[in-house]
Amino acid sequence: MKAEQLEAGEANSKQSTSSSTQRVLLINRGLSVMDLVLRIIGAVGSLGSAVAMGTTDQTLPSFIQFIQFNAQYNDIPMFTFFVIANSMVCAYLGLSLPMSIFHIIRSSAAINSRIILVIFDTVMMALLTAGASAAAAIVYLAHNGNASANWFAFCQQFNSFCERTSGSLIGSFGGILVFMLLIITSAVAISRR
Amino acid sequence: MRSGDSTTIDVPESSAIAKGKAPLIAVAKQEKGGWKRGVAIFDFILRLGAIVAALAAASTMGTSDETLPFFTQFFQFEASYDDLPTFQFFVIAMAIVSGYLVLSLPFSIVSIVRPHAVAPRLLLLILDTVALTLNTSAGAAAAAIVYLAHNGNPNTNWLAICQQFGDFCQKVSGAVVASFVSVVVFMFLILLSALAIRKA
Repeated sequence: MKAEQLEAGEANSKQSTSSSTQRVLLINRGLSVMDLVLRIIGAVGSLGSAVAMGTTDQTLPSFIQFIQFNAQYNDIPMFTFFVIANSMVCAYLGLSLPMSIFHIIRSSAAINSRIILVIFDTVMMALLTAGASAAAAIVYLAHNGNASANWFAFCQQFNSFCERTSGSLIGSFGGILVFMLLIITSAVAISRR
Repeated sequence: MRSGDSTTIDVPESSAIAKGKAPLIAVAKQEKGGWKRGVAIFDFILRLGAIVAALAAASTMGTSDETLPFFTQFFQFEASYDDLPTFQFFVIAMAIVSGYLVLSLPFSIVSIVRPHAVAPRLLLLILDTVALTLNTSAGAAAAAIVYLAHNGNPNTNWLAICQQFGDFCQKVSGAVVASFVSVVVFMFLILLSALAIRKA
Protein backbone atom coordinates (compact mmCIF):
# COMPACT_ATOMS: atom_id res chain seq x y z
CA MET A 1 0.00 0.00 0.00
CA LYS A 2 2.81 2.31 0.77
CA ALA A 3 4.27 1.70 -2.68
CA GLU A 4 0.93 2.56 -4.30
CA GLN A 5 0.66 5.77 -2.36
CA LEU A 6 4.17 6.71 -3.34
CA GLU A 7 3.43 6.08 -7.00
CA ALA A 8 0.27 8.20 -6.88
CA GLY A 9 2.20 11.00 -5.27
CA GLU A 10 4.89 10.80 -7.93
CA ALA A 11 2.34 10.90 -10.72
CA ASN A 12 0.68 13.97 -9.25
CA SER A 13 3.94 15.84 -8.90
CA LYS A 14 4.91 14.83 -12.43
CA GLN A 15 1.70 16.29 -13.84
CA SER A 16 2.13 19.58 -12.01
CA THR A 17 5.79 19.90 -13.03
CA SER A 18 4.94 19.18 -16.67
CA SER A 19 2.32 21.96 -16.79
CA SER A 20 4.63 24.42 -15.08
CA THR A 21 7.53 23.49 -17.38
CA GLN A 22 5.19 23.98 -20.34
CA ARG A 23 4.37 27.44 -19.05
CA VAL A 24 8.05 28.23 -18.55
CA LEU A 25 8.82 27.06 -22.07
CA LEU A 26 6.03 29.20 -23.49
CA ILE A 27 7.27 32.28 -21.69
CA ASN A 28 10.84 31.57 -22.80
CA ARG A 29 9.67 31.24 -26.38
CA GLY A 30 7.79 34.53 -26.07
CA LEU A 31 10.94 36.20 -24.79
CA SER A 32 12.93 34.82 -27.72
CA VAL A 33 10.36 36.09 -30.22
CA MET A 34 10.44 39.53 -28.59
CA ASP A 35 14.25 39.38 -28.85
CA LEU A 36 13.99 38.73 -32.60
CA VAL A 37 11.50 41.55 -33.15
CA LEU A 38 13.65 43.99 -31.17
CA ARG A 39 16.70 43.04 -33.20
CA ILE A 40 14.90 43.76 -36.45
CA ILE A 41 13.67 47.12 -35.14
CA GLY A 42 17.18 48.02 -33.95
CA ALA A 43 18.74 47.05 -37.28
CA VAL A 44 16.26 49.20 -39.20
CA GLY A 45 16.74 52.15 -36.83
CA SER A 46 20.51 52.15 -36.93
CA LEU A 47 20.58 51.63 -40.68
CA GLY A 48 18.24 54.60 -41.10
CA SER A 49 20.46 56.73 -38.90
CA ALA A 50 23.63 55.80 -40.76
CA VAL A 51 22.04 56.51 -44.12
CA ALA A 52 20.45 59.77 -42.99
CA MET A 53 23.75 61.07 -41.63
CA GLY A 54 25.86 59.66 -44.44
CA THR A 55 23.88 61.29 -47.24
CA THR A 56 23.96 64.81 -45.86
CA ASP A 57 25.37 67.31 -48.29
CA GLN A 58 24.47 70.95 -48.37
CA THR A 59 26.06 73.63 -50.46
CA LEU A 60 25.15 77.22 -49.75
CA PRO A 61 24.45 79.54 -52.63
CA SER A 62 27.26 82.07 -52.52
CA PHE A 63 27.78 85.25 -54.40
CA ILE A 64 31.49 84.71 -54.83
CA GLN A 65 32.29 82.42 -57.73
CA PHE A 66 35.33 80.76 -56.29
CA ILE A 67 34.35 80.14 -52.70
CA GLN A 68 31.87 77.35 -52.02
CA PHE A 69 30.37 76.78 -48.60
CA ASN A 70 29.71 73.09 -48.32
CA ALA A 71 28.83 70.89 -45.39
CA GLN A 72 29.12 67.11 -45.37
CA TYR A 73 29.23 64.54 -42.63
CA ASN A 74 32.92 64.07 -43.51
CA ASP A 75 33.78 67.53 -42.27
CA ILE A 76 33.25 66.64 -38.64
CA PRO A 77 35.10 63.55 -37.30
CA MET A 78 32.36 62.82 -34.74
CA PHE A 79 29.80 62.46 -37.51
CA THR A 80 32.14 60.09 -39.34
CA PHE A 81 32.43 58.03 -36.16
CA PHE A 82 28.63 58.14 -35.85
CA VAL A 83 28.14 56.74 -39.35
CA ILE A 84 30.75 54.02 -38.78
CA ALA A 85 29.32 53.03 -35.39
CA ASN A 86 25.76 52.84 -36.70
CA SER A 87 26.84 50.77 -39.71
CA MET A 88 28.72 48.34 -37.45
CA VAL A 89 25.74 48.03 -35.13
CA CYS A 90 23.39 47.41 -38.06
CA ALA A 91 25.70 44.73 -39.44
CA TYR A 92 26.01 43.09 -36.00
CA LEU A 93 22.23 43.03 -35.51
CA GLY A 94 21.78 41.50 -38.94
CA LEU A 95 24.39 38.84 -38.22
CA SER A 96 22.86 38.03 -34.83
CA LEU A 97 19.41 37.35 -36.31
CA PRO A 98 20.21 33.65 -37.06
CA MET A 99 21.34 33.22 -33.47
CA SER A 100 18.07 34.74 -32.29
CA ILE A 101 16.06 32.41 -34.54
CA PHE A 102 18.07 29.49 -33.13
CA HIS A 103 17.03 30.61 -29.64
CA ILE A 104 13.38 30.54 -30.66
CA ILE A 105 13.67 27.02 -32.00
CA ARG A 106 15.69 25.63 -29.11
CA SER A 107 14.63 27.64 -26.08
CA SER A 108 16.02 25.52 -23.32
CA ALA A 109 19.36 24.29 -24.62
CA ALA A 110 20.91 27.61 -25.54
CA ILE A 111 22.18 29.23 -22.36
CA ASN A 112 25.83 29.54 -23.37
CA SER A 113 24.98 31.13 -26.69
CA ARG A 114 22.63 33.52 -24.90
CA ILE A 115 25.46 34.60 -22.63
CA ILE A 116 27.73 35.21 -25.63
CA LEU A 117 24.93 37.23 -27.21
CA VAL A 118 24.61 39.30 -24.01
CA ILE A 119 28.34 40.05 -24.07
CA PHE A 120 28.27 41.19 -27.67
CA ASP A 121 25.06 43.16 -27.11
CA THR A 122 26.71 45.04 -24.24
CA VAL A 123 29.77 45.91 -26.31
CA MET A 124 27.68 47.02 -29.28
CA MET A 125 25.39 49.07 -27.03
CA ALA A 126 28.41 50.89 -25.61
CA LEU A 127 29.68 51.59 -29.14
CA LEU A 128 26.30 52.85 -30.32
CA THR A 129 25.86 55.04 -27.23
CA ALA A 130 29.32 56.52 -27.71
CA GLY A 131 28.63 57.38 -31.34
CA ALA A 132 25.19 58.79 -30.68
CA SER A 133 26.36 60.88 -27.69
CA ALA A 134 29.38 62.33 -29.48
CA ALA A 135 27.20 63.29 -32.44
CA ALA A 136 24.60 64.74 -30.07
CA ALA A 137 27.26 66.90 -28.40
CA ILE A 138 28.30 68.28 -31.78
CA VAL A 139 24.68 68.82 -32.86
CA TYR A 140 24.06 70.74 -29.65
CA LEU A 141 27.12 72.88 -30.35
CA ALA A 142 25.95 73.42 -33.91
CA HIS A 143 22.57 74.65 -32.72
CA ASN A 144 23.75 76.81 -29.83
CA GLY A 145 27.44 77.51 -30.28
CA ASN A 146 29.60 78.40 -27.31
CA ALA A 147 30.47 81.94 -26.36
CA SER A 148 33.30 81.04 -23.98
CA ALA A 149 35.21 78.96 -26.52
CA ASN A 150 34.26 81.23 -29.41
CA TRP A 151 32.65 78.41 -31.33
CA PHE A 152 30.09 79.62 -33.79
CA ALA A 153 26.74 77.85 -34.25
CA PHE A 154 26.78 76.86 -37.91
CA CYS A 155 23.16 75.72 -37.92
CA GLN A 156 22.13 79.28 -38.64
CA GLN A 157 23.75 78.97 -42.06
CA PHE A 158 23.38 75.26 -42.88
CA ASN A 159 19.75 74.70 -42.07
CA SER A 160 18.98 71.50 -43.96
CA PHE A 161 22.30 69.90 -42.93
CA CYS A 162 21.46 70.60 -39.31
CA GLU A 163 17.94 69.23 -39.58
CA ARG A 164 19.16 66.06 -41.24
CA THR A 165 21.88 65.39 -38.66
CA SER A 166 19.54 66.11 -35.75
CA GLY A 167 16.92 63.76 -37.17
CA SER A 168 19.40 60.94 -37.68
CA LEU A 169 20.12 60.98 -33.96
CA ILE A 170 16.59 59.80 -33.23
CA GLY A 171 17.06 56.40 -34.87
CA SER A 172 20.31 55.95 -33.02
CA PHE A 173 18.85 56.70 -29.60
CA GLY A 174 15.98 54.35 -30.41
CA GLY A 175 18.62 51.73 -31.13
CA ILE A 176 20.12 52.30 -27.69
CA LEU A 177 16.73 51.69 -26.09
CA VAL A 178 16.32 48.55 -28.18
CA PHE A 179 19.70 47.27 -26.98
CA MET A 180 18.79 47.89 -23.34
CA LEU A 181 15.60 45.88 -23.79
CA LEU A 182 17.55 43.13 -25.58
CA ILE A 183 20.02 42.76 -22.72
CA ILE A 184 17.27 42.71 -20.12
CA THR A 185 15.24 40.16 -22.15
CA SER A 186 18.27 37.91 -22.52
CA ALA A 187 19.04 38.18 -18.81
CA VAL A 188 15.48 37.23 -17.85
CA ALA A 189 15.58 34.31 -20.33
CA ILE A 190 18.89 33.07 -18.88
CA SER A 191 17.56 33.24 -15.35
CA ARG A 192 14.40 31.34 -16.18
CA ARG A 193 16.08 28.48 -17.98
CA MET B 1 18.18 -14.11 4.24
CA ARG B 2 15.22 -15.97 2.78
CA SER B 3 11.84 -16.01 4.55
CA GLY B 4 9.05 -17.76 2.69
CA ASP B 5 8.49 -16.79 -0.99
CA SER B 6 9.90 -13.30 -0.93
CA THR B 7 13.52 -12.37 -0.67
CA THR B 8 14.49 -9.55 1.62
CA ILE B 9 17.84 -7.98 1.81
CA ASP B 10 18.72 -6.42 5.10
CA VAL B 11 20.82 -3.32 4.81
CA PRO B 12 21.88 -2.02 8.18
CA GLU B 13 21.25 1.69 8.62
CA SER B 14 24.31 3.84 8.89
CA SER B 15 25.09 5.07 12.35
CA ALA B 16 24.90 8.63 11.12
CA ILE B 17 21.17 8.32 10.37
CA ALA B 18 20.59 7.15 13.92
CA LYS B 19 22.42 10.21 15.15
CA GLY B 20 20.46 12.40 12.74
CA LYS B 21 23.54 13.75 11.01
CA ALA B 22 23.29 11.95 7.65
CA PRO B 23 24.26 14.32 4.81
CA LEU B 24 21.57 14.75 2.17
CA ILE B 25 21.43 16.82 -1.01
CA ALA B 26 22.52 19.95 0.78
CA VAL B 27 26.19 19.00 0.40
CA ALA B 28 26.02 19.16 -3.41
CA LYS B 29 24.22 22.52 -3.30
CA GLN B 30 26.86 24.07 -1.08
CA GLU B 31 29.65 22.86 -3.38
CA LYS B 32 27.86 24.31 -6.39
CA GLY B 33 27.37 27.66 -4.65
CA GLY B 34 31.12 28.06 -4.43
CA TRP B 35 31.78 29.59 -7.82
CA LYS B 36 28.73 31.83 -7.64
CA ARG B 37 29.93 33.21 -4.33
CA GLY B 38 33.36 33.84 -5.86
CA VAL B 39 31.74 35.67 -8.75
CA ALA B 40 29.72 37.77 -6.30
CA ILE B 41 32.84 38.70 -4.33
CA PHE B 42 34.61 39.69 -7.54
CA ASP B 43 31.52 41.71 -8.51
CA PHE B 44 31.73 43.57 -5.18
CA ILE B 45 35.42 44.37 -5.65
CA LEU B 46 34.78 45.59 -9.21
CA ARG B 47 32.00 47.80 -7.94
CA LEU B 48 34.40 49.42 -5.47
CA GLY B 49 36.82 50.07 -8.32
CA ALA B 50 34.05 51.57 -10.44
CA ILE B 51 33.06 53.88 -7.58
CA VAL B 52 36.63 55.17 -7.41
CA ALA B 53 36.79 55.74 -11.16
CA ALA B 54 33.40 57.45 -11.42
CA LEU B 55 34.05 59.70 -8.43
CA ALA B 56 37.48 60.59 -9.79
CA ALA B 57 35.93 61.53 -13.13
CA ALA B 58 33.23 63.70 -11.59
CA SER B 59 35.56 65.45 -9.16
CA THR B 60 38.37 66.04 -11.68
CA MET B 61 35.96 67.61 -14.12
CA GLY B 62 34.23 69.59 -11.39
CA THR B 63 37.44 71.16 -10.11
CA SER B 64 38.97 71.94 -13.47
CA ASP B 65 38.99 75.74 -13.24
CA GLU B 66 41.81 77.64 -14.82
CA THR B 67 42.41 81.35 -15.00
CA LEU B 68 45.17 82.68 -17.20
CA PRO B 69 47.30 85.41 -15.62
CA PHE B 70 46.64 88.10 -18.27
CA PHE B 71 43.66 89.79 -19.86
CA THR B 72 42.55 91.92 -22.77
CA GLN B 73 39.26 93.53 -23.65
CA PHE B 74 38.21 91.01 -26.26
CA PHE B 75 38.90 87.53 -24.95
CA GLN B 76 37.95 85.65 -21.87
CA PHE B 77 40.87 84.04 -20.06
CA GLU B 78 39.02 81.83 -17.64
CA ALA B 79 37.96 78.30 -18.33
CA SER B 80 35.74 76.15 -16.17
CA TYR B 81 33.52 73.14 -16.73
CA ASP B 82 30.57 75.50 -16.33
CA ASP B 83 31.31 77.11 -19.67
CA LEU B 84 30.39 74.03 -21.65
CA PRO B 85 26.96 72.42 -21.09
CA THR B 86 28.34 69.07 -22.20
CA PHE B 87 30.79 69.13 -19.30
CA GLN B 88 27.99 70.07 -16.92
CA PHE B 89 26.07 67.02 -18.15
CA PHE B 90 29.24 64.96 -17.65
CA VAL B 91 29.67 66.01 -14.01
CA ILE B 92 26.00 65.42 -13.20
CA ALA B 93 25.90 62.04 -14.98
CA MET B 94 29.10 60.76 -13.32
CA ALA B 95 27.78 61.88 -9.95
CA ILE B 96 24.54 59.95 -10.57
CA VAL B 97 26.52 56.88 -11.67
CA SER B 98 28.75 56.92 -8.59
CA GLY B 99 25.71 57.43 -6.35
CA TYR B 100 24.02 54.44 -7.99
CA LEU B 101 27.16 52.33 -7.51
CA VAL B 102 27.32 53.15 -3.82
CA LEU B 103 23.63 52.29 -3.42
CA SER B 104 24.11 49.00 -5.26
CA LEU B 105 26.75 47.76 -2.83
CA PRO B 106 24.16 46.27 -0.41
CA PHE B 107 22.60 44.26 -3.26
CA SER B 108 26.05 42.97 -4.11
CA ILE B 109 26.58 41.93 -0.50
CA VAL B 110 23.20 40.16 -0.53
CA SER B 111 24.27 38.17 -3.57
CA ILE B 112 27.49 37.19 -1.76
CA VAL B 113 25.55 36.00 1.27
CA ARG B 114 22.93 34.16 -0.80
CA PRO B 115 24.66 33.03 -3.99
CA HIS B 116 21.62 31.23 -5.42
CA ALA B 117 19.18 34.10 -5.17
CA VAL B 118 18.32 35.28 -8.68
CA ALA B 119 16.36 38.45 -7.88
CA PRO B 120 19.19 40.67 -6.56
CA ARG B 121 21.47 39.72 -9.44
CA LEU B 122 18.76 40.33 -12.03
CA LEU B 123 17.95 43.71 -10.50
CA LEU B 124 21.64 44.62 -10.48
CA LEU B 125 21.98 43.57 -14.11
CA ILE B 126 19.07 45.72 -15.24
CA LEU B 127 20.21 48.77 -13.28
CA ASP B 128 23.82 48.25 -14.40
CA THR B 129 22.67 48.35 -18.02
CA VAL B 130 20.94 51.69 -17.46
CA ALA B 131 23.98 53.06 -15.62
CA LEU B 132 26.29 51.83 -18.37
CA THR B 133 24.25 53.76 -20.94
CA LEU B 134 24.35 56.95 -18.88
CA ASN B 135 28.07 56.58 -18.21
CA THR B 136 28.97 55.91 -21.86
CA SER B 137 26.78 58.77 -23.03
CA ALA B 138 28.42 61.26 -20.67
CA GLY B 139 31.93 60.01 -21.44
CA ALA B 140 31.47 60.06 -25.21
CA ALA B 141 29.89 63.52 -25.30
CA ALA B 142 32.70 64.93 -23.15
CA ALA B 143 35.25 63.12 -25.31
CA ALA B 144 33.81 64.81 -28.41
CA ILE B 145 34.22 68.23 -26.81
CA VAL B 146 37.73 67.36 -25.57
CA TYR B 147 38.67 66.27 -29.08
CA LEU B 148 37.40 69.58 -30.39
CA ALA B 149 39.31 71.45 -27.71
CA HIS B 150 42.52 69.67 -28.66
CA ASN B 151 42.19 69.77 -32.43
CA GLY B 152 39.57 72.32 -33.37
CA ASN B 153 37.70 72.04 -36.64
CA PRO B 154 38.83 74.03 -39.69
CA ASN B 155 35.60 73.39 -41.61
CA THR B 156 33.39 75.04 -39.02
CA ASN B 157 35.97 77.59 -37.92
CA TRP B 158 36.18 76.23 -34.38
CA LEU B 159 39.52 76.96 -32.77
CA ALA B 160 41.36 74.58 -30.47
CA ILE B 161 41.23 76.12 -27.01
CA CYS B 162 43.75 73.70 -25.51
CA GLN B 163 46.63 75.77 -26.78
CA GLN B 164 45.69 78.49 -24.35
CA PHE B 165 44.27 76.48 -21.47
CA GLY B 166 46.77 73.67 -20.96
CA ASP B 167 45.93 72.68 -17.40
CA PHE B 168 42.20 72.79 -17.99
CA CYS B 169 42.58 70.53 -21.00
CA GLN B 170 44.74 68.05 -19.10
CA LYS B 171 42.28 67.74 -16.23
CA VAL B 172 39.31 67.41 -18.51
CA SER B 173 41.01 64.73 -20.61
CA GLY B 174 41.91 62.82 -17.45
CA ALA B 175 38.29 62.94 -16.32
CA VAL B 176 37.12 61.50 -19.64
CA VAL B 177 39.67 58.66 -19.38
CA ALA B 178 38.46 57.84 -15.84
CA SER B 179 34.86 57.68 -17.06
CA PHE B 180 35.80 55.22 -19.79
CA VAL B 181 37.56 53.05 -17.18
CA SER B 182 34.24 53.04 -15.35
CA VAL B 183 32.50 52.00 -18.59
CA VAL B 184 34.80 48.98 -18.98
CA VAL B 185 34.19 47.98 -15.36
CA PHE B 186 30.44 48.20 -15.95
CA MET B 187 30.73 45.88 -18.93
CA PHE B 188 32.54 43.34 -16.76
CA LEU B 189 29.89 43.70 -14.06
CA ILE B 190 27.12 42.96 -16.57
CA LEU B 191 29.07 39.97 -17.88
CA LEU B 192 29.55 38.59 -14.35
CA SER B 193 25.88 39.02 -13.51
CA ALA B 194 24.85 37.27 -16.73
CA LEU B 195 27.19 34.37 -15.95
CA ALA B 196 26.06 33.97 -12.37
CA ILE B 197 22.34 34.24 -13.08
CA ARG B 198 22.15 30.81 -14.69
CA LYS B 199 20.38 28.05 -12.82
CA ALA B 200 23.38 25.78 -13.24
